[in-house]
Amino acid sequence: MTTTVVELWTEEPLVRYVGQASARLVVVMTPAGQVLAQHGFAKAVDLMGVAAIGAAIMASSGALATLVGEAAFGALFHAGLRHGIHLASCRTGRGPLIVLTVFGRETSIGLVEFFFDEFAAALHAAAPAERSRGPVLAENFEAELGHSLATLFGR
Amino acid sequence: MSLVNFTTREITCKIVYYGPGRSGKTTNLQYVYSQVPDDRKGRMVSLATQTDRTLFFDFLPLDLGSISGFTTKFQLYTVPGQVYYNATRKLVLQGADGVVFVADSQARQLDENVESLQNLQANILEHGVDVRTLPMVLQWNKQDLPRDLILSPVEMDDALNFRSLPAFPADALHGAGVFETLKAISAEVLRRLSQTAGGGRG
Amino acid sequence: MSEALERSLDRLSRVRGVRGSMFVAAEDGLVVAQLLMEGVNGKAVAALAAALARKVGGAAAATGAGRLSFVQMDASNGTLLLAPAPADLLIVALADPNVNVGLCRFEMIRAAEAQK
Repeated sequence: MTTTVVELWTEEPLVRYVGQASARLVVVMTPAGQVLAQHGFAKAVDLMGVAAIGAAIMASSGALATLVGEAAFGALFHAGLRHGIHLASCRTGRGPLIVLTVFGRETSIGLVEFFFDEFAAALHAAAPAERSRGPVLAENFEAELGHSLATLFGR
Repeated sequence: MSLVNFTTREITCKIVYYGPGRSGKTTNLQYVYSQVPDDRKGRMVSLATQTDRTLFFDFLPLDLGSISGFTTKFQLYTVPGQVYYNATRKLVLQGADGVVFVADSQARQLDENVESLQNLQANILEHGVDVRTLPMVLQWNKQDLPRDLILSPVEMDDALNFRSLPAFPADALHGAGVFETLKAISAEVLRRLSQTAGGGRG
Repeated sequence: MSEALERSLDRLSRVRGVRGSMFVAAEDGLVVAQLLMEGVNGKAVAALAAALARKVGGAAAATGAGRLSFVQMDASNGTLLLAPAPADLLIVALADPNVNVGLCRFEMIRAAEAQK
Protein backbone atom coordinates (compact mmCIF):
# COMPACT_ATOMS: atom_id res chain seq x y z
CA MET A 1 0.00 0.00 0.00
CA THR A 2 1.56 3.27 -1.08
CA THR A 3 1.25 6.80 0.12
CA THR A 4 1.76 9.47 -2.52
CA VAL A 5 1.34 13.21 -2.23
CA VAL A 6 1.06 16.18 -4.53
CA GLU A 7 1.93 18.66 -1.80
CA LEU A 8 4.86 17.57 0.37
CA TRP A 9 3.63 19.11 3.60
CA THR A 10 0.81 16.56 3.74
CA GLU A 11 3.08 13.52 3.70
CA GLU A 12 4.25 13.23 7.28
CA PRO A 13 0.85 13.86 8.88
CA LEU A 14 -0.75 11.41 6.44
CA VAL A 15 1.74 8.62 7.05
CA ARG A 16 1.29 9.02 10.82
CA TYR A 17 -2.51 9.09 10.53
CA VAL A 18 -2.61 5.95 8.37
CA GLY A 19 -0.49 4.08 10.91
CA GLN A 20 -2.37 5.25 13.99
CA ALA A 21 -5.87 4.80 12.61
CA SER A 22 -5.02 1.61 10.67
CA ALA A 23 -6.72 3.15 7.65
CA ARG A 24 -6.88 1.16 4.43
CA LEU A 25 -7.54 4.05 2.05
CA VAL A 26 -7.19 7.77 2.64
CA VAL A 27 -7.81 10.68 0.28
CA VAL A 28 -6.96 14.28 1.15
CA MET A 29 -8.65 16.65 -1.27
CA THR A 30 -9.99 20.10 -1.85
CA PRO A 31 -13.75 20.68 -1.68
CA ALA A 32 -13.77 20.50 -5.49
CA GLY A 33 -12.43 16.95 -5.36
CA GLN A 34 -8.89 17.73 -6.44
CA VAL A 35 -6.61 15.24 -4.70
CA LEU A 36 -3.63 16.50 -2.68
CA ALA A 37 -2.53 13.22 -1.14
CA GLN A 38 -3.63 9.61 -1.02
CA HIS A 39 -2.89 6.29 0.57
CA GLY A 40 -3.81 2.86 -0.71
CA PHE A 41 -5.00 3.51 -4.26
CA ALA A 42 -3.35 1.74 -7.17
CA LYS A 43 -5.35 3.19 -10.03
CA ALA A 44 -5.98 6.80 -10.93
CA VAL A 45 -9.50 6.11 -12.19
CA ASP A 46 -10.50 4.59 -8.85
CA LEU A 47 -9.10 7.57 -6.98
CA MET A 48 -10.84 10.00 -9.33
CA GLY A 49 -14.23 8.41 -8.79
CA VAL A 50 -13.83 8.27 -5.03
CA ALA A 51 -12.64 11.88 -4.84
CA ALA A 52 -15.49 13.17 -7.02
CA ILE A 53 -18.12 11.28 -5.04
CA GLY A 54 -16.57 12.18 -1.68
CA ALA A 55 -16.57 15.87 -2.56
CA ALA A 56 -20.15 15.58 -3.80
CA ILE A 57 -21.28 13.93 -0.56
CA MET A 58 -19.72 16.73 1.49
CA ALA A 59 -21.35 19.34 -0.73
CA SER A 60 -24.73 17.62 -0.41
CA SER A 61 -24.37 17.39 3.35
CA GLY A 62 -23.49 21.07 3.49
CA ALA A 63 -26.61 21.92 1.51
CA LEU A 64 -28.70 19.70 3.81
CA ALA A 65 -27.19 21.41 6.85
CA THR A 66 -28.19 24.80 5.44
CA LEU A 67 -31.73 23.60 4.80
CA VAL A 68 -32.18 22.41 8.39
CA GLY A 69 -30.54 25.50 9.86
CA GLU A 70 -27.19 24.03 10.86
CA ALA A 71 -23.92 25.84 10.22
CA ALA A 72 -22.23 22.71 8.86
CA PHE A 73 -21.93 19.05 9.67
CA GLY A 74 -18.54 18.10 11.08
CA ALA A 75 -18.14 14.56 9.91
CA LEU A 76 -20.01 11.70 8.27
CA PHE A 77 -19.67 8.06 9.05
CA HIS A 78 -20.97 5.21 6.93
CA ALA A 79 -20.90 1.75 8.48
CA GLY A 80 -20.57 -1.19 6.12
CA LEU A 81 -20.27 -4.92 6.74
CA ARG A 82 -16.56 -5.07 6.05
CA HIS A 83 -15.56 -1.41 5.84
CA GLY A 84 -16.46 1.90 7.33
CA ILE A 85 -16.10 5.28 5.64
CA HIS A 86 -15.31 8.45 7.56
CA LEU A 87 -15.63 11.74 5.72
CA ALA A 88 -14.76 15.01 7.38
CA SER A 89 -13.49 18.48 6.59
CA CYS A 90 -10.70 20.40 8.25
CA ARG A 91 -9.38 23.91 8.05
CA THR A 92 -5.81 24.65 7.03
CA GLY A 93 -3.83 27.66 5.92
CA ARG A 94 -4.10 26.18 2.46
CA GLY A 95 -7.88 26.44 2.69
CA PRO A 96 -10.55 23.90 3.69
CA LEU A 97 -9.73 20.27 2.94
CA ILE A 98 -11.76 17.07 2.93
CA VAL A 99 -10.39 13.78 4.21
CA LEU A 100 -12.01 10.50 3.25
CA THR A 101 -10.91 7.45 5.24
CA VAL A 102 -11.85 3.85 4.53
CA PHE A 103 -11.12 1.43 7.35
CA GLY A 104 -11.71 -2.21 8.16
CA ARG A 105 -12.62 -4.23 11.19
CA GLU A 106 -9.09 -4.11 12.59
CA THR A 107 -9.85 -0.60 13.84
CA SER A 108 -12.99 1.30 14.80
CA ILE A 109 -14.78 4.55 14.06
CA GLY A 110 -13.88 5.73 17.54
CA LEU A 111 -10.17 5.34 16.83
CA VAL A 112 -10.47 6.86 13.35
CA GLU A 113 -12.31 9.87 14.77
CA PHE A 114 -9.81 10.27 17.57
CA PHE A 115 -6.79 10.14 15.30
CA PHE A 116 -8.51 12.24 12.65
CA ASP A 117 -8.63 15.09 15.15
CA GLU A 118 -4.87 14.80 15.57
CA PHE A 119 -4.40 14.54 11.80
CA ALA A 120 -6.46 17.67 11.20
CA ALA A 121 -4.39 19.56 13.73
CA ALA A 122 -1.17 18.31 12.13
CA LEU A 123 -2.34 19.37 8.67
CA HIS A 124 -3.28 22.77 10.03
CA ALA A 125 0.16 23.14 11.59
CA ALA A 126 2.05 21.92 8.52
CA ALA A 127 0.13 23.76 5.81
CA PRO A 128 1.82 26.72 4.19
CA ALA A 129 -0.15 29.94 4.17
CA GLU A 130 -2.63 29.96 1.32
CA ARG A 131 -0.75 31.31 -1.65
CA SER A 132 -2.55 34.13 -3.29
CA ARG A 133 -3.99 32.61 -6.42
CA GLY A 134 -5.67 34.51 -9.15
CA PRO A 135 -9.12 33.31 -10.11
CA VAL A 136 -8.98 29.86 -11.68
CA LEU A 137 -9.68 30.37 -15.34
CA ALA A 138 -12.50 28.31 -16.71
CA GLU A 139 -10.32 26.69 -19.34
CA ASN A 140 -7.76 25.68 -16.69
CA PHE A 141 -10.24 24.22 -14.20
CA GLU A 142 -10.39 20.78 -15.73
CA ALA A 143 -6.63 20.67 -16.24
CA GLU A 144 -6.12 21.49 -12.57
CA LEU A 145 -8.40 18.64 -11.53
CA GLY A 146 -6.44 16.15 -13.59
CA HIS A 147 -2.97 17.49 -12.78
CA SER A 148 -2.85 16.06 -9.28
CA LEU A 149 -3.77 12.57 -10.51
CA ALA A 150 -0.95 12.71 -13.02
CA THR A 151 1.47 13.71 -10.25
CA LEU A 152 0.28 11.00 -7.86
CA PHE A 153 0.58 8.24 -10.41
CA GLY A 154 3.86 9.37 -11.88
CA ARG A 155 2.62 10.31 -15.35
CA MET B 1 -38.45 7.34 -13.45
CA SER B 2 -41.65 9.41 -13.37
CA LEU B 3 -43.73 9.23 -10.25
CA VAL B 4 -47.43 9.05 -11.06
CA ASN B 5 -49.92 9.08 -8.23
CA PHE B 6 -53.37 8.31 -9.61
CA THR B 7 -54.98 8.83 -6.22
CA THR B 8 -53.71 12.35 -5.70
CA ARG B 9 -53.42 12.91 -9.48
CA GLU B 10 -49.85 14.09 -9.36
CA ILE B 11 -47.00 13.53 -11.77
CA THR B 12 -43.35 14.21 -11.01
CA CYS B 13 -40.70 13.94 -13.70
CA LYS B 14 -36.95 14.34 -13.72
CA ILE B 15 -35.18 16.25 -16.49
CA VAL B 16 -31.40 16.29 -16.65
CA TYR B 17 -29.40 18.95 -18.47
CA TYR B 18 -26.28 17.29 -19.81
CA GLY B 19 -23.30 18.49 -21.81
CA PRO B 20 -19.60 19.33 -21.70
CA GLY B 21 -18.14 21.68 -19.13
CA ARG B 22 -19.12 25.34 -19.45
CA SER B 23 -21.68 24.69 -22.16
CA GLY B 24 -24.43 26.55 -20.30
CA LYS B 25 -26.35 23.90 -18.37
CA THR B 26 -26.38 25.82 -15.11
CA THR B 27 -27.10 29.03 -17.00
CA ASN B 28 -30.24 27.44 -18.42
CA LEU B 29 -31.52 26.63 -14.95
CA GLN B 30 -30.56 30.00 -13.56
CA TYR B 31 -32.50 31.71 -16.32
CA VAL B 32 -35.56 29.52 -15.77
CA TYR B 33 -35.36 30.22 -12.06
CA SER B 34 -35.17 33.96 -12.62
CA GLN B 35 -38.24 33.98 -14.85
CA VAL B 36 -40.64 31.56 -13.19
CA PRO B 37 -43.04 33.06 -10.59
CA ASP B 38 -42.37 32.18 -6.96
CA ASP B 39 -45.52 30.11 -6.63
CA ARG B 40 -44.37 27.86 -9.47
CA LYS B 41 -40.88 27.06 -8.32
CA GLY B 42 -39.03 25.72 -5.32
CA ARG B 43 -35.65 26.69 -4.02
CA MET B 44 -32.80 26.22 -6.47
CA VAL B 45 -29.97 24.21 -4.98
CA SER B 46 -26.54 24.51 -6.55
CA LEU B 47 -23.70 22.29 -5.36
CA ALA B 48 -20.75 24.05 -6.93
CA THR B 49 -17.07 24.61 -6.41
CA GLN B 50 -15.60 27.87 -5.19
CA THR B 51 -15.08 28.81 -8.84
CA ASP B 52 -18.76 28.22 -9.60
CA ARG B 53 -18.24 25.04 -11.58
CA THR B 54 -21.00 22.53 -10.90
CA LEU B 55 -19.59 19.97 -8.46
CA PHE B 56 -22.49 17.58 -8.11
CA PHE B 57 -25.68 19.06 -9.49
CA ASP B 58 -27.99 22.04 -9.67
CA PHE B 59 -31.56 21.29 -8.79
CA LEU B 60 -34.71 23.27 -9.51
CA PRO B 61 -38.22 22.01 -8.78
CA LEU B 62 -40.97 23.47 -10.97
CA ASP B 63 -44.73 23.29 -10.74
CA LEU B 64 -46.23 23.29 -14.21
CA GLY B 65 -49.77 23.38 -12.92
CA SER B 66 -52.54 21.11 -14.14
CA ILE B 67 -52.01 19.16 -17.35
CA SER B 68 -54.78 16.75 -18.38
CA GLY B 69 -56.11 16.87 -14.86
CA PHE B 70 -52.78 15.97 -13.26
CA THR B 71 -50.74 18.34 -11.11
CA THR B 72 -47.45 18.20 -12.94
CA LYS B 73 -44.11 18.86 -11.29
CA PHE B 74 -40.76 18.79 -12.96
CA GLN B 75 -37.42 18.42 -11.25
CA LEU B 76 -34.67 19.96 -13.32
CA TYR B 77 -31.10 18.85 -12.71
CA THR B 78 -27.79 19.72 -14.26
CA VAL B 79 -24.68 17.56 -14.13
CA PRO B 80 -21.03 18.62 -13.81
CA GLY B 81 -19.53 18.70 -17.27
CA GLN B 82 -15.87 18.01 -16.56
CA VAL B 83 -14.61 14.54 -17.47
CA TYR B 84 -13.22 14.22 -13.94
CA TYR B 85 -16.72 14.11 -12.44
CA ASN B 86 -18.08 11.19 -14.45
CA ALA B 87 -18.80 9.13 -11.33
CA THR B 88 -21.13 11.78 -9.92
CA ARG B 89 -22.58 12.53 -13.35
CA LYS B 90 -23.75 8.93 -13.56
CA LEU B 91 -25.50 9.24 -10.20
CA VAL B 92 -27.44 12.34 -11.25
CA LEU B 93 -28.49 10.72 -14.52
CA GLN B 94 -30.13 7.82 -12.73
CA GLY B 95 -33.90 7.84 -13.07
CA ALA B 96 -33.98 10.64 -15.64
CA ASP B 97 -37.23 10.87 -17.62
CA GLY B 98 -35.78 13.21 -20.20
CA VAL B 99 -32.46 14.78 -21.15
CA VAL B 100 -31.57 18.16 -22.58
CA PHE B 101 -28.16 18.00 -24.20
CA VAL B 102 -26.67 21.48 -24.05
CA ALA B 103 -23.92 21.82 -26.62
CA ASP B 104 -21.40 24.63 -26.83
CA SER B 105 -21.67 26.07 -30.34
CA GLN B 106 -18.07 27.29 -30.38
CA ALA B 107 -16.18 25.55 -33.18
CA ARG B 108 -13.25 24.76 -30.87
CA GLN B 109 -15.60 22.88 -28.50
CA LEU B 110 -16.84 20.40 -31.10
CA ASP B 111 -14.69 17.55 -29.84
CA GLU B 112 -15.90 18.17 -26.28
CA ASN B 113 -19.50 18.10 -27.49
CA VAL B 114 -18.97 14.79 -29.29
CA GLU B 115 -17.19 13.28 -26.29
CA SER B 116 -19.93 14.42 -23.93
CA LEU B 117 -22.65 13.00 -26.16
CA GLN B 118 -20.85 9.66 -26.30
CA ASN B 119 -20.42 9.80 -22.53
CA LEU B 120 -24.15 10.44 -22.13
CA GLN B 121 -25.00 7.42 -24.22
CA ALA B 122 -22.54 5.23 -22.33
CA ASN B 123 -23.89 6.33 -18.95
CA ILE B 124 -27.49 5.81 -20.02
CA LEU B 125 -26.58 2.34 -21.21
CA GLU B 126 -24.99 1.58 -17.85
CA HIS B 127 -28.32 2.34 -16.22
CA GLY B 128 -29.92 -0.25 -18.47
CA VAL B 129 -31.91 2.27 -20.51
CA ASP B 130 -32.22 2.22 -24.30
CA VAL B 131 -31.06 5.67 -25.34
CA ARG B 132 -33.43 5.58 -28.31
CA THR B 133 -36.43 5.43 -25.99
CA LEU B 134 -35.35 8.23 -23.67
CA PRO B 135 -36.92 11.61 -24.54
CA MET B 136 -34.16 14.00 -25.53
CA VAL B 137 -33.78 17.41 -27.09
CA LEU B 138 -30.65 19.25 -28.12
CA GLN B 139 -29.73 22.84 -27.49
CA TRP B 140 -27.11 24.68 -29.51
CA ASN B 141 -26.10 27.25 -26.93
CA LYS B 142 -23.92 30.34 -27.32
CA GLN B 143 -25.41 31.23 -30.69
CA ASP B 144 -24.95 34.86 -29.68
CA LEU B 145 -21.17 34.65 -30.09
CA PRO B 146 -19.45 36.08 -33.20
CA ARG B 147 -20.22 34.09 -36.34
CA ASP B 148 -16.61 33.25 -37.05
CA LEU B 149 -16.25 31.50 -33.68
CA ILE B 150 -19.31 29.28 -33.76
CA LEU B 151 -20.98 26.63 -35.86
CA SER B 152 -24.42 27.52 -37.16
CA PRO B 153 -27.45 25.48 -36.06
CA VAL B 154 -27.32 23.63 -39.40
CA GLU B 155 -23.67 22.80 -38.88
CA MET B 156 -24.35 21.71 -35.30
CA ASP B 157 -27.15 19.46 -36.57
CA ASP B 158 -24.83 17.90 -39.11
CA ALA B 159 -22.15 17.30 -36.51
CA LEU B 160 -24.20 16.07 -33.57
CA ASN B 161 -27.84 15.37 -34.38
CA PHE B 162 -27.63 11.77 -35.67
CA ARG B 163 -31.11 10.92 -34.57
CA SER B 164 -32.90 14.02 -35.90
CA LEU B 165 -33.98 15.06 -32.44
CA PRO B 166 -35.66 18.40 -31.80
CA ALA B 167 -32.89 20.99 -31.62
CA PHE B 168 -33.01 24.60 -30.52
CA PRO B 169 -30.53 27.41 -30.99
CA ALA B 170 -30.04 29.34 -27.78
CA ASP B 171 -28.31 32.09 -25.92
CA ALA B 172 -28.92 30.87 -22.37
CA LEU B 173 -27.21 33.85 -20.77
CA HIS B 174 -29.90 36.14 -22.15
CA GLY B 175 -32.66 33.58 -22.20
CA ALA B 176 -33.09 33.02 -25.92
CA GLY B 177 -34.16 29.45 -26.59
CA VAL B 178 -34.24 28.43 -22.93
CA PHE B 179 -37.99 28.13 -22.52
CA GLU B 180 -38.43 26.72 -26.00
CA THR B 181 -36.04 23.93 -25.04
CA LEU B 182 -37.76 23.32 -21.73
CA LYS B 183 -41.22 23.24 -23.31
CA ALA B 184 -40.03 20.77 -25.92
CA ILE B 185 -38.52 18.34 -23.46
CA SER B 186 -41.54 18.65 -21.16
CA ALA B 187 -43.87 17.82 -24.03
CA GLU B 188 -41.70 14.85 -25.06
CA VAL B 189 -41.61 13.49 -21.54
CA LEU B 190 -45.33 13.85 -20.96
CA ARG B 191 -46.12 12.36 -24.36
CA ARG B 192 -43.97 9.36 -23.55
CA LEU B 193 -45.57 9.08 -20.14
CA SER B 194 -49.06 9.07 -21.59
CA GLN B 195 -48.04 6.43 -24.14
CA THR B 196 -46.59 4.24 -21.42
CA ALA B 197 -49.52 4.75 -19.07
CA GLY B 198 -52.01 4.22 -21.87
CA GLY B 199 -50.23 1.03 -22.93
CA GLY B 200 -50.05 -0.17 -19.36
CA ARG B 201 -53.62 0.49 -18.47
CA GLY B 202 -55.22 -0.27 -21.84
CA MET C 1 -28.32 9.61 28.90
CA SER C 2 -30.81 6.90 29.92
CA GLU C 3 -31.65 6.75 33.61
CA ALA C 4 -30.31 3.25 34.09
CA LEU C 5 -26.97 4.09 32.55
CA GLU C 6 -26.80 7.34 34.48
CA ARG C 7 -27.47 5.65 37.81
CA SER C 8 -24.82 3.03 37.15
CA LEU C 9 -22.18 5.58 36.24
CA ASP C 10 -23.12 7.74 39.20
CA ARG C 11 -22.50 4.87 41.64
CA LEU C 12 -19.18 4.07 40.01
CA SER C 13 -18.10 7.71 40.01
CA ARG C 14 -18.68 7.93 43.78
CA VAL C 15 -15.82 5.51 44.43
CA ARG C 16 -13.00 7.68 45.73
CA GLY C 17 -10.31 8.18 43.12
CA VAL C 18 -12.49 7.58 40.05
CA ARG C 19 -12.03 10.45 37.63
CA GLY C 20 -14.32 9.30 34.95
CA SER C 21 -16.63 6.47 34.00
CA MET C 22 -18.35 5.59 30.79
CA PHE C 23 -20.22 3.05 28.76
CA VAL C 24 -18.57 2.50 25.41
CA ALA C 25 -19.78 0.70 22.30
CA ALA C 26 -17.23 -2.10 22.06
CA GLU C 27 -17.39 -2.40 18.29
CA ASP C 28 -17.21 1.29 17.43
CA GLY C 29 -15.23 2.72 20.32
CA LEU C 30 -17.81 5.47 20.69
CA VAL C 31 -19.12 6.87 23.93
CA VAL C 32 -22.63 5.71 24.83
CA ALA C 33 -22.83 7.46 28.19
CA GLN C 34 -20.23 9.18 30.31
CA LEU C 35 -19.60 10.96 33.58
CA LEU C 36 -16.23 12.66 33.50
CA MET C 37 -14.26 15.11 35.56
CA GLU C 38 -12.77 18.18 33.95
CA GLY C 39 -9.77 17.44 31.78
CA VAL C 40 -10.63 13.85 30.89
CA ASN C 41 -10.80 13.30 27.12
CA GLY C 42 -13.79 10.98 26.89
CA LYS C 43 -13.57 10.47 23.17
CA ALA C 44 -9.95 9.34 23.37
CA VAL C 45 -10.53 7.10 26.38
CA ALA C 46 -13.51 5.44 24.70
CA ALA C 47 -11.72 4.77 21.44
CA LEU C 48 -8.52 3.51 23.03
CA ALA C 49 -10.28 1.47 25.72
CA ALA C 50 -12.33 -0.33 23.08
CA ALA C 51 -9.19 -1.01 21.06
CA LEU C 52 -7.45 -2.31 24.18
CA ALA C 53 -10.41 -4.54 25.04
CA ARG C 54 -10.37 -5.99 21.57
CA LYS C 55 -6.64 -6.73 21.68
CA VAL C 56 -6.70 -8.19 25.18
CA GLY C 57 -9.84 -10.16 24.41
CA GLY C 58 -8.13 -11.56 21.33
CA ALA C 59 -5.10 -12.52 23.40
CA ALA C 60 -7.27 -14.18 26.03
CA ALA C 61 -9.09 -16.19 23.38
CA ALA C 62 -5.90 -17.13 21.56
CA THR C 63 -4.17 -18.31 24.74
CA GLY C 64 -7.14 -20.39 25.80
CA ALA C 65 -7.82 -18.15 28.77
CA GLY C 66 -11.42 -17.78 27.68
CA ARG C 67 -13.64 -14.74 27.48
CA LEU C 68 -12.44 -11.42 28.78
CA SER C 69 -13.96 -10.49 32.14
CA PHE C 70 -11.89 -7.60 33.46
CA VAL C 71 -8.88 -5.52 32.47
CA GLN C 72 -6.75 -3.44 34.80
CA MET C 73 -4.06 -1.23 33.28
CA ASP C 74 -1.80 0.52 35.80
CA ALA C 75 0.29 3.53 34.79
CA SER C 76 2.30 6.10 36.70
CA ASN C 77 -0.45 8.69 36.76
CA GLY C 78 -3.56 6.60 36.71
CA THR C 79 -5.40 3.35 36.28
CA LEU C 80 -7.70 2.24 33.50
CA LEU C 81 -10.28 -0.41 34.30
CA LEU C 82 -12.66 -1.99 31.86
CA ALA C 83 -15.16 -4.81 31.81
CA PRO C 84 -17.63 -6.12 29.24
CA ALA C 85 -21.28 -5.27 29.65
CA PRO C 86 -24.41 -6.54 27.86
CA ALA C 87 -25.50 -5.29 24.44
CA ASP C 88 -21.92 -5.21 23.18
CA LEU C 89 -20.92 -2.47 25.60
CA LEU C 90 -17.89 -1.95 27.78
CA ILE C 91 -17.87 -0.25 31.12
CA VAL C 92 -14.74 1.82 31.59
CA ALA C 93 -13.35 3.64 34.60
CA LEU C 94 -10.40 6.01 34.68
CA ALA C 95 -8.98 6.46 38.18
CA ASP C 96 -6.10 7.63 40.36
CA PRO C 97 -3.24 5.17 40.87
CA ASN C 98 -4.28 4.46 44.46
CA VAL C 99 -7.95 3.77 43.76
CA ASN C 100 -9.61 0.84 45.48
CA VAL C 101 -9.64 -1.50 42.50
CA GLY C 102 -11.73 -4.11 44.28
CA LEU C 103 -14.51 -1.63 45.00
CA CYS C 104 -14.36 -0.29 41.47
CA ARG C 105 -14.59 -3.75 40.05
CA PHE C 106 -17.59 -4.47 42.26
CA GLU C 107 -19.38 -1.37 41.07
CA MET C 108 -18.46 -2.07 37.47
CA ILE C 109 -19.84 -5.58 37.59
CA ARG C 110 -22.93 -4.23 39.28
CA ALA C 111 -23.28 -1.59 36.59
CA ALA C 112 -22.95 -4.23 33.90
CA GLU C 113 -25.53 -6.45 35.61
CA ALA C 114 -27.95 -3.55 35.81
CA GLN C 115 -28.02 -3.34 31.99
CA LYS C 116 -29.34 -6.87 31.56
